Amino acid sequence: MAAPTGKRKRDDSDDGSEDEGAVRARFQRAFEAKFKPLDVRKPSPSPELIVDDIEDDEDEEDLETSDWEGLSDDDGAVEVVELAVFPSHDASAIEREKKAFMSSRPPTLEGSAVRQPATTKEVAADDTEEKANLQHDLALQRLLKESHLLDPNSSTRSNINVEGRGRLKALDLRLKDLGAKAPVSTQEKMPLAHRKGITAKVVGREGKRRQEAAESGIVLEKAKFATKFSKPREKAIAGPMVGKFKGGTLSLGKQDLRTIQGPKQRGRGGRRGGKR
Amino acid sequence: MAAPTSAPQTLKFTGSKYLIQRLVLATLTGRAIRVSQIRASSHTSPGLAAHEVSFLRLLESITNGSHIEFSYTGTTLLYKPGLITGAATGHGLTTGGAIRHELPADCTRSASYFLIPLCLLAPFSKAQMNVLLTGPGVITSATETGDVSVDTIRTAILPLFKSFGIERNLELRILRRSNAGRDGKGGGGEVQLVFDHQVRLPKTIHLLDAGRIKRVRGVAYSTGVAGANNARLIEAARGVLNDLVPDTYIFSDISSAPLVAGLEKNNPGAKRKTGLGFGLSLVAESNTNMLYSADIASLPAGGEAPEDLGRKCAYQLLESIEAGGCASGVAATSVLTLMAMGSEDVGRITLSKDVVGSEQVVQLARDLRGFGMSGWGMREDDDGEIVVSIVGKGVGNVGRKIA
Repeated sequence: MAAPTGKRKRDDSDDGSEDEGAVRARFQRAFEAKFKPLDVRKPSPSPELIVDDIEDDEDEEDLETSDWEGLSDDDGAVEVVELAVFPSHDASAIEREKKAFMSSRPPTLEGSAVRQPATTKEVAADDTEEKANLQHDLALQRLLKESHLLDPNSSTRSNINVEGRGRLKALDLRLKDLGAKAPVSTQEKMPLAHRKGITAKVVGREGKRRQEAAESGIVLEKAKFATKFSKPREKAIAGPMVGKFKGGTLSLGKQDLRTIQGPKQRGRGGRRGGKR
Repeated sequence: MAAPTSAPQTLKFTGSKYLIQRLVLATLTGRAIRVSQIRASSHTSPGLAAHEVSFLRLLESITNGSHIEFSYTGTTLLYKPGLITGAATGHGLTTGGAIRHELPADCTRSASYFLIPLCLLAPFSKAQMNVLLTGPGVITSATETGDVSVDTIRTAILPLFKSFGIERNLELRILRRSNAGRDGKGGGGEVQLVFDHQVRLPKTIHLLDAGRIKRVRGVAYSTGVAGANNARLIEAARGVLNDLVPDTYIFSDISSAPLVAGLEKNNPGAKRKTGLGFGLSLVAESNTNMLYSADIASLPAGGEAPEDLGRKCAYQLLESIEAGGCASGVAATSVLTLMAMGSEDVGRITLSKDVVGSEQVVQLARDLRGFGMSGWGMREDDDGEIVVSIVGKGVGNVGRKIA
């Protein structure tokens, strides 16, 4: 349970109030000799001093208006106030605890291990500098990687941040670095005429390059011809496992025969033509 | 007692009470048992009940080479245990690594009836224990028959295994909640127990200081009824507990009612809702990490206000705390069994007189004795509680020894 945290009365025992008054007066005179005269309020005849357990940082004007009059009349007895502090359960803490408690794992015996967020306050000072450095690094890396996009004869650009088509290309490159398969900018759907035009253009460009190379005597890599069928054709569902079934007859090709019979077995060395 | 020969004698028991406890001990120690006169005097339902048969099936699916025989009326049972294999691949009915166990629709016991013995067997299994309880008989809440809810298992019983050195990858997933259905029979819940920490022998424990309660946590659940019931339960329980333990939090879990097959003749595909109701599970934790729990759920017939139930649950928790000791009545049998299975060393635990004197613990002591375990030493400590000292028999994981 909470410790009784009520108001605390300070006991006011005025033992040495006589000589204390004299000392106080002397101090006041000394002070006034140096500075402006003080406007002294008489202490109330029975000072009912109430001090809160938890004293807030009061403003100066509060101090002026409050009836606090110094650590004067305590007779040295220290009153200890125990303040029971319960962990403040703010919404996020409750949410976290709920997550921990309602998960499928048994809640840990040590209680909710409250994860403290990594202390970032100390590094906050040179954080901005770090950030700037990192950003510069990134910009440099990108510039090195994508500098070919800044080819001056492709268009007029001098900015690091490429724009327009170049920007899309740069984006594609970055995505490819991150592991993307197909570029984002390729259009999946388009009219057939467009598609044909594009492929024709690509083929034409390649042909032109080869022709120019041949004319100037440059040896290029071997031309790759696209295979007609990349995958083996799917067989009909009820079709035969081997061969073709057509017109009521199953015809087996050479390849089929080979797959059935397996590779030809040759005897080792002699015995050729011997009895089998 | 039987001499330690190669084929120890079959142990004989009578009656349906403590059947599960005996089956578990038989499986752990590898002794065959014969239980006779199971509800032999009952004219309406003699023999094994649905949940008992279901547990035997579960035992068969998690062990290898066990042999179960019923008599014609089901009043006699012969059980020869095999090795506890758990959810080993290629063994049993496994789907995604989990042994799927369907409970029948006329099951009146909560899923904890199956899960607590499973948790006792699981540390000694060969592979991990991964069991999915499903079907039209899974009740996840507390029941009238005196079973605790699965939340209590997760929050108050599974943490106890930590003191035995069993703590890694224990999970109890409540996939679907369900209270008891009509007449307290059946439900549509789904619970998965993953117990992936197998040990050769559980550690010897010395739990002597119960400490003082530092916090209370709980789960209020409602399935298929208004979530306001949860709020009312929580309000009432906190009304009692808040003055005593300010650090009290009860979380609320609201879910829709589970659907199970309707079993109608003219419309076999029909589904019906079942397992409506609400309940509360409370766990108090002491500064020495001892746990006390309380459980309550709405009656299948209804008619009791959530406020009353919440208050009852809180008082039940307070009673459990008042009894004291390092294990409450719910957990005592599990803890004591694990201690008996431990290494050949003296483990000690402080228990309250109420718990030690309870029928279940006394019977456990007798049964352990019957299975060839050592007797318990007891002495009273200064607080009027009993310190029970148990010498382990080093039975532990037979499967490990062989493998």
